[in-house]
Amino acid sequence: MFEIHNCAPQFIQQLINGVALGGLYALIALGYTMVYGIIELINFAHGDVYTLGSFISLSILGLIPLATISNPTVLGLIALAVIILAALLCGIIGVLIERLAYRRLRNAPRLAPLITAIGVSLILENIMQIWKGNSEVSFPQFLPDHWHQIGGVRFDDRSLMVVVVSLVCMILLNFFVFHTKLGKAMRATAQDRDAAQLMGINVNSTIAWTFFIGSALAGVAGFISGMYYGTTFFLNGYQAGLKAFTAAVLGGIGNITGAMLGGFVIGIIETMTSGCISDQWSEVAVFAILILTLVFRPSGLLGQQLPEKV
Amino acid sequence: MLRNIGAPRTASAALLVLAFALAGCSGSGSGSNATSNGTAGASAGGNAAGGTVIKIGADLPISGADASDGVPTKLGVELAIIDANKQNLVPGFTLQTDILDDAVNGVHNPSQGAKNVQSFASDDAVLGIVGPFNSNVAKAEIPLTNSLGIALISPATTNPDLTKGPKALELRTTNPQTITFFRVCATDDIQGPVGADYAYNDRHLRKAYLIDDNETYGRGVADAWGAQFISDGGTVLSHDHITKGQQDFHALLTRAAGAAPDVVFYGGVTANGGGLIRKQMSESGIGNVAYFGADGVRNDQFLTDAGATADNVYATVAAVNASTIPAAKQFLTDYQTQFNQPVGSYSAAGYTAAMVLIKAIGLASKADGGKMPTRAEVLSQLRSIKSFQSIMGPFAFDANGDTTNKIISIWGAQKDKWVFLTQRKFAAK
Repeated sequence: MFEIHNCAPQFIQQLINGVALGGLYALIALGYTMVYGIIELINFAHGDVYTLGSFISLSILGLIPLATISNPTVLGLIALAVIILAALLCGIIGVLIERLAYRRLRNAPRLAPLITAIGVSLILENIMQIWKGNSEVSFPQFLPDHWHQIGGVRFDDRSLMVVVVSLVCMILLNFFVFHTKLGKAMRATAQDRDAAQLMGINVNSTIAWTFFIGSALAGVAGFISGMYYGTTFFLNGYQAGLKAFTAAVLGGIGNITGAMLGGFVIGIIETMTSGCISDQWSEVAVFAILILTLVFRPSGLLGQQLPEKV
Repeated sequence: MLRNIGAPRTASAALLVLAFALAGCSGSGSGSNATSNGTAGASAGGNAAGGTVIKIGADLPISGADASDGVPTKLGVELAIIDANKQNLVPGFTLQTDILDDAVNGVHNPSQGAKNVQSFASDDAVLGIVGPFNSNVAKAEIPLTNSLGIALISPATTNPDLTKGPKALELRTTNPQTITFFRVCATDDIQGPVGADYAYNDRHLRKAYLIDDNETYGRGVADAWGAQFISDGGTVLSHDHITKGQQDFHALLTRAAGAAPDVVFYGGVTANGGGLIRKQMSESGIGNVAYFGADGVRNDQFLTDAGATADNVYATVAAVNASTIPAAKQFLTDYQTQFNQPVGSYSAAGYTAAMVLIKAIGLASKADGGKMPTRAEVLSQLRSIKSFQSIMGPFAFDANGDTTNKIISIWGAQKDKWVFLTQRKFAAK
């Protein structure tokens, strides 16, 4: 039942597992936190956009005769192209969801968009169930897999890819938000929508861009999770979305750096609990830490980036 | 901030209604495709002359990952109905199947199973039910069939506590002494030990790491396997339980790798991660370690999920391999002609369960002078069958409702197919 295993010899190995899982959570958490930051909506459909990303990648890969290609460079380029395509398509879907379901409700009582988000989530889940069926769908393992051994620690290209891709996305996002004009518009809109509008910022398009970027990151996460686990399932987004949302809250919802930190913290806690105690305790640990953090730091680890009230 | 709450209100109200409607749909929607008159999914077969319809209910998981077990079993039941109508086994009546799915969102679901039993019970034409496939579903259904007085014959549930001992009595709350649940397969108190013996004696494995899916079936079979493995002289390094809906087993398997097992036993079904665990074993550095499972993983979905790692994998099935029995030859040919689909672990069991039920219905009707028998009469005929000549061999039901024909077959996975290795027969206790 509750026994502590000696997990010291595998500490680094488990850390790698945790960082890979955390990278996925962080990528999804970014979408939650960006949307919340700008319109204070918990976009429950976001987890399903992540699953949609893996389904879209799967369909694109199905069009490519992968078995006939053996050149690793070409395969790598194909992977890159599929990531970009999946990100674009998910981004567009995110924008459509915002346009069709949320925009009209932007000034409605908070409950209305929240329930709408749950509705959109169910719509997406049911569409995916009809599309690919309700059992695990296998994801082609087309990239050559190499194992690396450093000391007693071994890891493969797949986990390396998850970590690298998520870090690259986060660096790009950070650059975008803090060093571009559109990023500045986003931060301004998040701080005070009305004032931003008065300053000549197109609030509607800024919010649409926020949805685009958040959903595109979920699309990337969808592709790399498919590559990492080798399968995908129409309900995966529910569980992953819940964890990623927790990560966003843990880091301080609305805070981009917080979401990344939260993602890695949740991934590592979950893996370490599974590795050192038992799988059954991993969720208990994740949510216990969330509650404890919120008790002592109600606005999350790094704090919310809320409009500064003077 | 000032909020404009005028215009969008109607829109939001409409969306709210829509969202709730959808929530309602997804709650019960994927579960079953039954209609109130029970004709959806029914397949009347054969060419027997009309007359009153008698229905055989079938409750099996026929969507999602469980479908790779449930559908071949269902086809077995359908073939039985076709044959029974052809041979006119219940003179004056036409037999029909009424098939309900107990999988919700792709995984077998006890409350859906219970709902299905209630829906069968409310249809007077249903005289007995074949099913379910999974032990936790049976646990939810047995109390119902016990109080409703309708026969439930399972082709595949193997948890011993469903029929034997104090836990079985807890399930038969309404009429503790009345048996309404029967099964035509062997149980995990045999299946587990046979697998463990095979691992220890035939594969010479000594250090086992046990993982189960924390369901009635998975936990039970893992306990039984582990206990026998220890009494054979082997070591059980650890016994872990996974949680439902998980996809990432790297942490658990990395820990398992640290314990250096030479066999990993997984007690559970493919839908809960059986194939993914095999796949992630190789990513966690124990890809060359043998994998043992039981009937929950001996299906095509496991091969799909595990892909190239479906090798050095062994699984037991609590039923005979039909192709080793001469009496099943016709069944296998007919199954192929009729459906042109692969035979599953429990296709023959599905056929047998339906056939023994039809036999009881036939006897009860005959005793009634050709009238439509009651459910109680069918039950009493089932209990008093002495020796039923089935395609799995002759059997009867013992005092607990278990089959007297106990055979465990052992299978090995070879990437894209399951290969029969051997089987063992047990005397009825």
